[in-house]
Amino acid sequence: MTQAPPPFDPELAAALELIKDVISPGLTMDEIADVRQGAGIQMLADLDLTVDGFFEVEDRAVPGPEGAPEISLLICRPAAPAGAESRPVIYHVHGGGLILGNNRVGVDVALAWAKELDAVVVSVEYRLAPEHPYPAQIEDVYAGLEWTAKHAGEFGGDPQRIVVAGASAGGGLSAALALLTRDRGGPELIGQVLLCPMLDDRNDTPSSHQMAGLGVWDRTANETGWTALLGERWGRPDVPAYAAPARAGDLSGLPPAFLDVGSAETFRDEVVAYASRIWQVGGVAELHVWPGGFHGFDGFAPQAALSQVCRAAQLAWLRRLLSQ
Amino acid sequence: MKELAGRLTALDPDAGAAVRVIAYFDRLAESRAGLEALVRGAAVLAGVPARLMDADRRVHVRVETDGTRRESDLPPDPAWPSAPLTPDGAPALWLERDGQAEPSVVDAVILERAAGVIRLVLDRTRGRAPADDPALVETVLDGTAPEAARLHAARGLGLDLAAPARVLAPLDGRPRIVPAHLDAEPPVGRVGVGPAVAVLDLPRSWSEARVALRFTAEGTAQDPGPGVVHADELGGIALLAGLVAPGAEPPPDVQALESAAAAAPWLLATLHAVASTVSLRAAAAEITVHHSTLQERLTHAEHLLGWPLRTPQGRFRLGLALTMRRLTRT
Repeated sequence: MTQAPPPFDPELAAALELIKDVISPGLTMDEIADVRQGAGIQMLADLDLTVDGFFEVEDRAVPGPEGAPEISLLICRPAAPAGAESRPVIYHVHGGGLILGNNRVGVDVALAWAKELDAVVVSVEYRLAPEHPYPAQIEDVYAGLEWTAKHAGEFGGDPQRIVVAGASAGGGLSAALALLTRDRGGPELIGQVLLCPMLDDRNDTPSSHQMAGLGVWDRTANETGWTALLGERWGRPDVPAYAAPARAGDLSGLPPAFLDVGSAETFRDEVVAYASRIWQVGGVAELHVWPGGFHGFDGFAPQAALSQVCRAAQLAWLRRLLSQ
Repeated sequence: MKELAGRLTALDPDAGAAVRVIAYFDRLAESRAGLEALVRGAAVLAGVPARLMDADRRVHVRVETDGTRRESDLPPDPAWPSAPLTPDGAPALWLERDGQAEPSVVDAVILERAAGVIRLVLDRTRGRAPADDPALVETVLDGTAPEAARLHAARGLGLDLAAPARVLAPLDGRPRIVPAHLDAEPPVGRVGVGPAVAVLDLPRSWSEARVALRFTAEGTAQDPGPGVVHADELGGIALLAGLVAPGAEPPPDVQALESAAAAAPWLLATLHAVASTVSLRAAAAEITVHHSTLQERLTHAEHLLGWPLRTPQGRFRLGLALTMRRLTRT
């Protein structure tokens, strides 16, 4: 039986009234093309990447995975000269349900942190599903990280201090990247910031049922994203952890994680479960469940009181991580 | 609607934006949002800082366009678009938009909807405004009521029991109790202003406010004088109020004024200017006549009244007569 969902935070409920014309809860396969052309993604990407001249911005084409096309990295570094030490690097993975977006989408959040922390942001572009099914996305993200670790010195970045961060599908890919670098012995990450991450293809938690038809990215949209990635495989027992990190049998040996999620969204239960499993194997994680938050609320309504608290918590965690 | 990322940023002034503004505030009202969320909504939708100032309830909320709350030392600019919380009330919600002759349609919708919801929230969370609850005000101002009852009523009105307050006595209307430290909204119309006192002393502030009210005037040619009088500033003149009862036979000097005024329509305004300014030149400027014209008028007035007006004693007698005239009328 489906229980009544938690109410949206009052300000966020009002914000949904404004954005519902641009972004609806559900999304089906045949709507993907339209949404990619739509105003929502366009506006998400339509940002001042220099943040009033604070950053110097460069688009860099770098080698992709073996046998695959080059990928594009967006590199934003503070224009002011660095101090004696090289800067930490925030390796950003964009959201968009694995089917939408580009390396501009959502990068404003990482830029806001980087401005406070004097860090470099590298935002990776990956191939989208369904044209490019698994593992194109995670392999692109991995290739971008390898290049970043090897070439960090070229833009004043410290290869020993790379944090991966992403929201939604970008959060899921960030978690997968942490698993993959652990298992392949790839470039070492010092932290993973998983914002309302998309972790579990099974789409069967109480929250995924509770929030059907509500807010942003409901179970229909979620099914669309996972189907685009995995085709007929989604939900079956053999889905790999690098596609859906919730499938990982072993969450030990991962870098410290920051996870957050709204209480009123599809992903609530899978994110809480993921954090719990990190603790259960002796890992380090900080989890915030924002009451009444819909999916991605701090990006859609950054002015709301809850969004301000949420952004402050993210920044405070990064500050502690980087000052260690 | 010009949103960044479907985000809440400034709206374009078109009809669609107005509809969204209405939906936004309706949703806030439905989900019982607080004051700050409402002021933030106004700021975010208008794209300029918004502030709510309700002197009666000591509410002061200012929110910037990025949603952060930040107070400002500067008073509101009367030119900003604003809305009252009660019909005909003082402006309470402001959009800090400079240099505009009149508010845009969207600004007007934002102000109207936000003020409407804010009123409901204030009534729900802070109690009704003092002026709106005559029974409680009456109890607070009743010196014969038990202290406990008066304190309870004061709490019901949202008064801070530790801070001084004063009573306003409007000519037409019920008494209003306002916190003493708030001078942001000067009273309008004919009002007697009582002294600032502790909450339990408000009956005294009320009686002094009513006395002060009797010293007010309409401010017209036939009833010149101040519309707002502070009891604190009357000093010994207040004693006159006990001597001159309204409607009783006027003292001889007042009768002289009345008959002189009947003979010369300019007389009362001219004499008020002479009695209330520091010099004859200032008086002439006040009523916009030439200095020599004023001299001629004074000669004429002295003749009609029967006492000199250009000596200190004569001016004092004139001031008293004008003041007593107000007391006979109120």
